[in-house]
Amino acid sequence: MSDKVQVSIRNLYKIFGTNPEEALRYVLGGMSKADLLKQHGHVLGLKDINVDIKEGEITVIMGLSGSGKSTLIRHLNRLIEPTSGEVFVDGDNVLDYGEDKLRELRRQVMSMVFQKFALLPHRTVAENAGTTLGVRGVAKTDYLKEADKWLDRVGLRGFGNHYPHQLSGGMQQRVGIARALTSNSPIMLMDEAFSALDPLIRTDMQDLLLELQKELHKTIVFITHDLDEALKLADHLVILKDGFVVQQGEPQHILLHPNDPYIEDFVSDINRARVLRVRSIMAPLTKGLVPTDTHGEINIDDTLESMIAKSGGDTSYTYLVTRDGNPVGTLDMSSLVLALVPRVASEEGARQY
Amino acid sequence: MATYDPLFNILGLRNWCDSGSAGSAPASMADLLVSTGVDKETSILDLPFPSLDALNEACGAFWQSRDVTTGVEGGFLAMKDALRVVLDPLTQPLSWILDGALYLFQSTPWFIMVPFLAVVVYFASKSVKLVGFVVVCLISLAFVDLYDHAMQTLAIIFVCAFLCVLFGVPIGIAMSRSNRLQRIIIPILDMLQTLPPFVYLIPLIFLFSVTEPKLYGIAIILYAIVPVIRLTDLGIRLVDKDVIEAADSFGMTDQQKLFGVQIPLALPNIMAGVNQTIMMSLAMVVIASLVSAPGLGVLVLRGIRNLELGVGLVSGLAIVLLAIILDRVTKAALARVNAAQKQ
Repeated sequence: MSDKVQVSIRNLYKIFGTNPEEALRYVLGGMSKADLLKQHGHVLGLKDINVDIKEGEITVIMGLSGSGKSTLIRHLNRLIEPTSGEVFVDGDNVLDYGEDKLRELRRQVMSMVFQKFALLPHRTVAENAGTTLGVRGVAKTDYLKEADKWLDRVGLRGFGNHYPHQLSGGMQQRVGIARALTSNSPIMLMDEAFSALDPLIRTDMQDLLLELQKELHKTIVFITHDLDEALKLADHLVILKDGFVVQQGEPQHILLHPNDPYIEDFVSDINRARVLRVRSIMAPLTKGLVPTDTHGEINIDDTLESMIAKSGGDTSYTYLVTRDGNPVGTLDMSSLVLALVPRVASEEGARQY
Repeated sequence: MATYDPLFNILGLRNWCDSGSAGSAPASMADLLVSTGVDKETSILDLPFPSLDALNEACGAFWQSRDVTTGVEGGFLAMKDALRVVLDPLTQPLSWILDGALYLFQSTPWFIMVPFLAVVVYFASKSVKLVGFVVVCLISLAFVDLYDHAMQTLAIIFVCAFLCVLFGVPIGIAMSRSNRLQRIIIPILDMLQTLPPFVYLIPLIFLFSVTEPKLYGIAIILYAIVPVIRLTDLGIRLVDKDVIEAADSFGMTDQQKLFGVQIPLALPNIMAGVNQTIMMSLAMVVIASLVSAPGLGVLVLRGIRNLELGVGLVSGLAIVLLAIILDRVTKAALARVNAAQKQ
């Protein structure tokens, strides 16, 4: 994992309507989304989006329906043209691309996974998985070989000759993921990829994605409306509301320090013990001294849930936190319990703002 | 005095009217009655619609209705020669193809033709039962000596339906890609579909010689091409937007998208259009026997003309059998396409 920014979105605006340029002037002049719709009949889709997507990370864009997240992801490969702004991929502004260069980008650099799978019903699973290579002109025997490899990898060994309608929803989405992986592109765009699946299969697919990511280190942009999913997958979390970014950053940080009542609302409903990890709430070692009176050693990436189980619920315990075997801090079980309480409950009236 | 006389008087057009041809000699009974001085009770209930003829009575400068029909006729006849110079060579291949197909279907002996058709049916439907049904139908047609006529009808349908698909599918594809083209073509299709089939024949008789096969070929194609165009357009427009978006996101070119995604996914609809086109060709080929199209229609026509009840009914039933065969075979092919791409 490097710190290199692979995709960078700068000052992106998208306005839907008959005359977006004119409407953009009103928006830049400070008109709100509701006023724009009421007075000029234009819909403000995205407003001043700035996001850096780092290479090899999973960037999750989260928001409720209508928040513009699906619109945003379609700007990355220009399935939707912005009203104004810039999208840089590896330093190049995608919006300057002509038709041919754009096609090359879609073929070689970005692949996409869709909420409704969007498989071709008249082609077999293997042919579907190989579509991304097929469009580049790779011979069928070659792309079927590559497709079979990735179908194995997503757990669909032996299904290559089936047709999509013979598979369940979860399996169809595995084909969708295999199709994106077969293209061997560095960036994967996943548009609510797991939202159409039932909860158990969704968890399976999330695990599959994390497992693949451990090996492949792709740059993944993942869209979801489910905060649990977002927190599970995200290295970097972007929260959208009504077309603008409310907060973005490390997911644990957002969870512990929501900067907006909207996000507090969101995070108050989730199982914090499962999401939060020791590293987010531990106390660093004072002056490098390793305390001797701890009740055991724990890993920095353990979840709080596993800590509660380990301590047997006793809040008087203190643990030594280690990273790769070296002590880095201490964890007081009582601070752990406090961290489980959402801030919105302790700060009454936060919603007034 | 005609009903609308005052109207022209008020408008001050009397002089203009009288400069026309009418007015010098009484033309109608009403004029005669007026000129002989017989007064007639008129009531508001007798007010005629101000049609061309009624206005002409009052004002001779107006046209009569029959001038409209003679005008259309004159216009068409004036265009005819120019149209012929363009259309005759363009449509000549149709005559050759029809002649060729008729010769091929009639000169092939029955013991080759029937197995050949059975094989075609098998490959279209992959159903042995249907093949058996088709063979039984053909044999029973041959048994009552309608084989030759049935083959003529089939030959014409094959040629015309094939040409309909050949031209109709590209037109449908073009329509699906341009809303403007769709707006232009849809009224034409509506007209072709609602114009009574007999009316097609009238201008064609003037344009082409009745002895030429292309006369009925064109009539059949014009009548039968509509459904395949409509359903191709519809089928491509109905292709799932998500799949099209996916195709775009993988960087497919327009051509890859058309042949790899849109046409295959529209195929069930296109096939339904082909089925309709074949059935409409069959309907038209019977009517086209009025303009010398050979086949079962000729026998039906003989039944009507000579009041040969038996000939008419038997050949009518033979047409029904042919229709059932064509319908079942194309539907079976359609069902196979559908089964292959269930969502």
